Amino acid sequence: MDESEDVPKDFIKLKSEKLSVDEVSELVVSPYCGAVSLFIGTTRNNFEGKKVIHLEYEAYTSMAESEIKKICRDVRQKWPSIKHIAVHHRLGVVPITEASVIIAVSSPHRAESLEAVTYCINTLKASVPIWKKEIYEDEYSWKENKECFWTNSEK
Amino acid sequence: QVSVLYFARSAELAGLRCETLRVPRQVTSLQLWEEIVRVHPRLAVIRDQVVFAVRQEYVLLGDQLLLLQPGDEVAIIPPISGG
Repeated sequence: MDESEDVPKDFIKLKSEKLSVDEVSELVVSPYCGAVSLFIGTTRNNFEGKKVIHLEYEAYTSMAESEIKKICRDVRQKWPSIKHIAVHHRLGVVPITEASVIIAVSSPHRAESLEAVTYCINTLKASVPIWKKEIYEDEYSWKENKECFWTNSEK
Repeated sequence: QVSVLYFARSAELAGLRCETLRVPRQVTSLQLWEEIVRVHPRLAVIRDQVVFAVRQEYVLLGDQLLLLQPGDEVAIIPPISGG
């Protein structure tokens, strides 16, 4: 068995091509792990009664990658048994039902990777500089995550 | 001279994504915002919703003193919606 299999790795990618669940889960698979947990964020076709034609994502790419790296570092501190983490986020136009984000985490037993995936997506929504524009038939809207740590929606 | 990056709604209001601006080396984040709004008055409407990222660290608009170096990146960050 190759020594390099032991080294935990983070796989972070922002790309405009269609995301692949197979590709992302294969990145984190490890012979030392009995669990791979996955989250897929897909695009809904409606919002408040309006038909969504598609989504468009943009990112402050360099900072988004470093913020995702910070999330991976935090995950490894909270759940030290985590082996590999993969976060792929799509940029540009994302058609309805296609994935905008895929997060995969592997660990020896399932509890840690399930918790880590939840933590990853929740923290990503609160801190990673990526923006989503929903395109409707007649208009569009820049979305705002309720997790965004500086917006006070009670104002 | 710093590089100012605009994203999402702030890029639409400012009409551009990137520019260099001459700003004082020592300035509070609120003062920096006011300098930018002087150049792009349409940004004023989002003042309560944005934060900065200075050298890729988030900074709230307020009294925090920024020590800016030539070539530093300052980004206007509207409310995020990744994931």
